[in-house]
Amino acid sequence: MSGTQGRSDEARAERRVAICLGLSIVAALGLTVVYMLGGQPQAEGGLLFLALGFLALGLILWGKELLPNAPVTASRTPHESSTGAREGVGEAFARGGDRMFRRTFLVKMAALAGGSLGLAAIFPIASLGPSPGHALKRTSWARGRRLVQLDGTPVRPSDLGVDNILTVFPEGTGDDPQTQADSQVVLINIGSARQVVRKGRATWSVDGLVAYSKICTHAGCPVGLYKADGNTRPSHELLCPCHQSTFDVLDGCRPVFGPAARSLPQLPLALSPDGYLVAQSDFTEPVGPSFWNRT
Amino acid sequence: MNGSGRDRRPEVGPTVEEDGPSRRRGGVISRAPRWVDDRLGMSKFAESALDKVFPDHWSFMFGELAFYAFLLLLGTGVYLTFFFAPSERAVVYHGTYVPLRGVQMSEAYKSVIEISFKVKAGMVMRQMHHWAALIFLGAIVVHLCRVFFTGAFRRPREINWVIGVSLLVLGIVNGFAGYSLPDDLLSGTGLRIANAIILSIPFLGPWLGSLLFGGEFPAASILSRLYIIHVLLVPAAIAALLTAHLAILWRQKHTDFPGRDKSEDTITGSRMWPTYGMKSTGLLFAVSAFTALLGGLAQINPIWLYGPYKPAAVSAGSQPDWYMGWLDGALRMFPNVEIRVFHVTISNLFFPAVVLPGITFTMLAVWPWLEARLTHDHEPHNLLDRPRDRPVRSALGSATLAFYSILLLGSATDILATTFHLSFNTIIRMLQVAIFTVPVIVFLVVRRICRDLSAGRVRPIRQPGSAVIGRDAEGRMVVEHVDEPDSLADDDNVGADPVRPNKDIRIRTGGD
Amino acid sequence: MRGAAAGLLLVAVALAVGFGSSFRATAAPAQTADPAALAGGRALFVTGCSTCHGGDGRGIAKRGPSLLDSGAAGADFYLRTGRMPLANPDQQPLRGPAAYNGREIGELVAYVASLGQGPPIPTVGPGNLSAGNSEFQLNCGACHSVVGAGGALSYGDVVPSLQRATRTDVLEAVRVGPGNMPRFSAEVLTPQQLADVATYVQYLHHPEDRGGFGLGHLGPIPEGFVGLVLGLGALLLCVRLVGTRA
Repeated sequence: MSGTQGRSDEARAERRVAICLGLSIVAALGLTVVYMLGGQPQAEGGLLFLALGFLALGLILWGKELLPNAPVTASRTPHESSTGAREGVGEAFARGGDRMFRRTFLVKMAALAGGSLGLAAIFPIASLGPSPGHALKRTSWARGRRLVQLDGTPVRPSDLGVDNILTVFPEGTGDDPQTQADSQVVLINIGSARQVVRKGRATWSVDGLVAYSKICTHAGCPVGLYKADGNTRPSHELLCPCHQSTFDVLDGCRPVFGPAARSLPQLPLALSPDGYLVAQSDFTEPVGPSFWNRT
Repeated sequence: MNGSGRDRRPEVGPTVEEDGPSRRRGGVISRAPRWVDDRLGMSKFAESALDKVFPDHWSFMFGELAFYAFLLLLGTGVYLTFFFAPSERAVVYHGTYVPLRGVQMSEAYKSVIEISFKVKAGMVMRQMHHWAALIFLGAIVVHLCRVFFTGAFRRPREINWVIGVSLLVLGIVNGFAGYSLPDDLLSGTGLRIANAIILSIPFLGPWLGSLLFGGEFPAASILSRLYIIHVLLVPAAIAALLTAHLAILWRQKHTDFPGRDKSEDTITGSRMWPTYGMKSTGLLFAVSAFTALLGGLAQINPIWLYGPYKPAAVSAGSQPDWYMGWLDGALRMFPNVEIRVFHVTISNLFFPAVVLPGITFTMLAVWPWLEARLTHDHEPHNLLDRPRDRPVRSALGSATLAFYSILLLGSATDILATTFHLSFNTIIRMLQVAIFTVPVIVFLVVRRICRDLSAGRVRPIRQPGSAVIGRDAEGRMVVEHVDEPDSLADDDNVGADPVRPNKDIRIRTGGD
Repeated sequence: MRGAAAGLLLVAVALAVGFGSSFRATAAPAQTADPAALAGGRALFVTGCSTCHGGDGRGIAKRGPSLLDSGAAGADFYLRTGRMPLANPDQQPLRGPAAYNGREIGELVAYVASLGQGPPIPTVGPGNLSAGNSEFQLNCGACHSVVGAGGALSYGDVVPSLQRATRTDVLEAVRVGPGNMPRFSAEVLTPQQLADVATYVQYLHHPEDRGGFGLGHLGPIPEGFVGLVLGLGALLLCVRLVGTRA
């Protein structure tokens, strides 16, 4: 009786596996048709899921219901070698090694040869990148260099109304990504809002316009988020969208929240004779994230 | 008698096959192994391979999930390499995606747009690749937890533990490299932060940054370098270590949970051939299937919406993938202090982004030796611990998980703020408190729970304590004896008893 | 119910206005509005707005700002998107159902516009999608996110999602800078660039989601959640199925 039961169970399991594999075939053929018709990502993914999924289900059912399933116990052979074998290794090593290491002079020379090759390798490795030099401490800003928009248009103070913000770059540097990366500046019109002016920076702004490095002093993301005005809330804040460092624009872009530890460097502004905004000089400190010898 | 003659006419050779009826099939099946064995002598190995016993517990298959996800990553990744161009060269797009027509972008970004919109099956392949990466690292972490909490890393398996930790590190590195390759706004932002992290290393930072990127950020060679790292160096290292991982597993055999008829000298389960092999192959297809489902229906990293990387642009809500999220969270939560000694600045980034992962992976790697030293347990183990029987280890592991989960939560502060209408300032302050308190609470609670479970004061649902059930003269089942919970379970000296008594129900029949 | 219907109608009108016109979008209810509308607007203003903005629209300290320079654009934006009137002046004004009907808004806008020299409701031509994409990425993405999903500001303030921002909303908001949003003058963002940006924002309402469900376009956080909970979760269930004896 149990034999018949077992056989009919098996037949049922076999049927189930066959159905799964059949459905997998159908889905795979469907996938072929979808590809032939030009493809559509959702149909492709769905059919691929069905084809692979039914294949998986079929194999799992096959394994679980139709293959030998009784637990098998195997012995673990200890993987340590015998004491004799271990001693054999030591002896074999000593047989050759003793004679080799006796020549201490040669061993030292060989070590020196390896070290020398390592020394020589420093130079090819160094050619992977230029010496950092002062590149991290300088930007492309310089005395009299005009502030321009991304498309190269120079900026007049009147271009920015109160609470306007604009990302500017030093003129004449074109599309160079390295310049854009370290010389990007946010120009903000704070209007008549009262500013805490830092010592020596009284002449750094023009008509309520202030300019700060747009690179976060924490991890270098562009500090592009400006919380303007705001009536009764804390406002005039620059926020870094990466790690939420918050800088108070009215207080020299001092960090007031988040992980940034230093103020955003300020770019001293001036007006050119023909009425465009220019830089008085480069930044007076390195921009962006800290490195060990920044001061 | 020469070998080829024997191969051609097996019926006259000294090793005639017995399966007469289906000579043709039997011929092929039996001849191939013989052909191999004549040349390589692999029969003994092949037999042990076919007969290899895999233990019966589903938690032993977590590592297989990671392995199959890796195979899937290789397959989809190779397809992507046919169409991806690792080049910063500026080009203008004129393809089918209208909102980018006429926009200047790097060749790399353009090639990923083409993979997404033009290459047949490209979109699904790309998304499967990305989803498989998330699943790969998730499976590694789940596998690592299983190994940790059951003490499977103990002697003689320390080497494989270290290899596993290395695989985790390599997986994270390669995930980040892959995330950076499309040169979209998100990947550029990630590279910018990575550059800042390298710069933060005292004394070496500026040099290392220049050597890796090929100059000051964003430097023109980073994509081609990341590409070779992503498709050759790291995958080769992963493949090599994975091979070693499996070979060592093969040599040492699986661990096994304690139980009836279990001992340190035996292993019980299903044979590789055919049962386990069939089921495991099924699992390979299951991993592929669910990855395909996500790859086709759930959009991941829609770089055409993010736009090409421009150094002055950034998006609100920029995050790394989850396996880097704990580092991003640590960056957000670290206080804004910067150390300056004489003229040397130690960047604020150095601690959360360099020291923290350094400590994390070092501690993980040396844990087997650390624990052995603390518990004085230097014995080899093939039988696993039940987590509850090692309250301190389980509590430490849970507290560590809590610690990194809070860091991971930290990388979502802005998303949490907008989704739940909270202030990210409040969220960060709360997490800064939680990072110190929650792991301690978790430690105490888990240790308590483990001790109670182990001591039998709380009955787990499916794990009855230790009892002997017999039959009385009338054949009724009676409990003859209940083992008192042993005092060791309540003892911090978790290693004092390396081989624990098996807790289970022993059924005796008859009137003995 | 009526509010919702009115809102729908407004949106429909705004859409029609936004898309239907090619070179002149909305007729600015400028200073030359008819006296009846001005009188109606003034009456509405006194009852609905003067508590915070003052009877003359000059603002009241700690309550509401002066509206002298807010212009038709500002009034239209705040009223049509339901950001004003605000129950509590400490709240951040957020999008909601409009409190006034179309005629009332027109009158209020005319009245506020008559108070000073604020910007009229901007009118721009058709925009270019890919140019708008680039401008949006550079100027708007940092706060609104590059997919227009919005974001977080400090202390609980939010950057609104642009999912429901009509073309006119975008034009007005860019010039007015409502709430914490900075302004963009015509020199910084030319009328053509503004038109491009507005066009791209409309595209972002239903962006190309070739990959499937967009997951809210919120990036790696929901992706990680889906990958671990759904993807890995399903696979752990599979393992459970495979790894246990029948």
